Amino acid sequence: MSLQGWYPLVLARDIAPGTSAGTRVEGKEFVAWRDDKGAPHVWEDRCPHRGMKMSFGFVRGDHIACLYHGWQYDTAGQCRYIPAHPDLDVPKTIKVPTFGVAESGGIVWGTFDAESEGAAPSPDLSGDITPLRTVFADCPAALLVERIPLTPLDGITPDVKATAERVIEIGLGDVTLIAGVQPVAEREAALHIVATGSPSADQLKRLAHWAEQLRRDAEQAATNEKIAEIAA
Amino acid sequence: MKRESVIFTFTGTIVPDSFIAFARHRAARLDLPLALLASDDNSVAVAVDGQADLVDAFDMACSLGPHDCIVLDVERAPASPALFESRNERMGQ
Repeated sequence: MSLQGWYPLVLARDIAPGTSAGTRVEGKEFVAWRDDKGAPHVWEDRCPHRGMKMSFGFVRGDHIACLYHGWQYDTAGQCRYIPAHPDLDVPKTIKVPTFGVAESGGIVWGTFDAESEGAAPSPDLSGDITPLRTVFADCPAALLVERIPLTPLDGITPDVKATAERVIEIGLGDVTLIAGVQPVAEREAALHIVATGSPSADQLKRLAHWAEQLRRDAEQAATNEKIAEIAA
Repeated sequence: MKRESVIFTFTGTIVPDSFIAFARHRAARLDLPLALLASDDNSVAVAVDGQADLVDAFDMACSLGPHDCIVLDVERAPASPALFESRNERMGQ
């Protein structure tokens, strides 16, 4: 499956400068990492040397080093240093594929097709945002979104609107959430949720519990669907 | 780093098309020019030129070979740099 457009990958808060995180989109593996200057990067999660996941590596300044043999790559994905061959002028052909990246609405986004790179990411949120949490669920992304209106919070039925591709707005009484929908794999999904404005700590706690309930509910629904499929 | 021009002769159970494609891919990954010198069902001879460590890496990679070939022996001999001169001139080396 070709990946088109922008995909939410991780809450910006959850990837501090000098750290990396592995992620998947439609089953394909990527690493999101942030250099010491705070710039995010999204690459293929595979060292060209022996295939080790780059997300297991170490960020050192503006380089990321593979955990396995310490090969170091600059922010363009070019290998710059091989510890076992310190005098080697590393050829340009040793390079990790890199992808378009943007940070918007408190979420780090990646794009994996050349056409989308350079286009404005969605959502273009410039207001006051408070990161809530990422919810990972063992169910298809569409099912996770479908279950949101069926998961009330203190008697309030969530009002869900799709505002852009892979972006939904969730009205919950006096709080509005924005969620990036990540199709992790065929039966795995993630919602990267931020709250607009500055909810109180108590509100954030209630919302976090609601998100947990949503995950349990969606996974139960996915299990029920699977049982029905087997029984049919 | 020191440069080397080397002729490798890989012998064993060789599927020439498969092995040659494998060797070309590895040489390209290591940015080494490769000249195919000879091939049959028992052996493939190629010449490569470049930094010594990269030539050694090519040796190691090809000694494992593709999944459908079994390399039993690798012979290594100096190659004439003339084989690669035109390419190196183009690259300013």
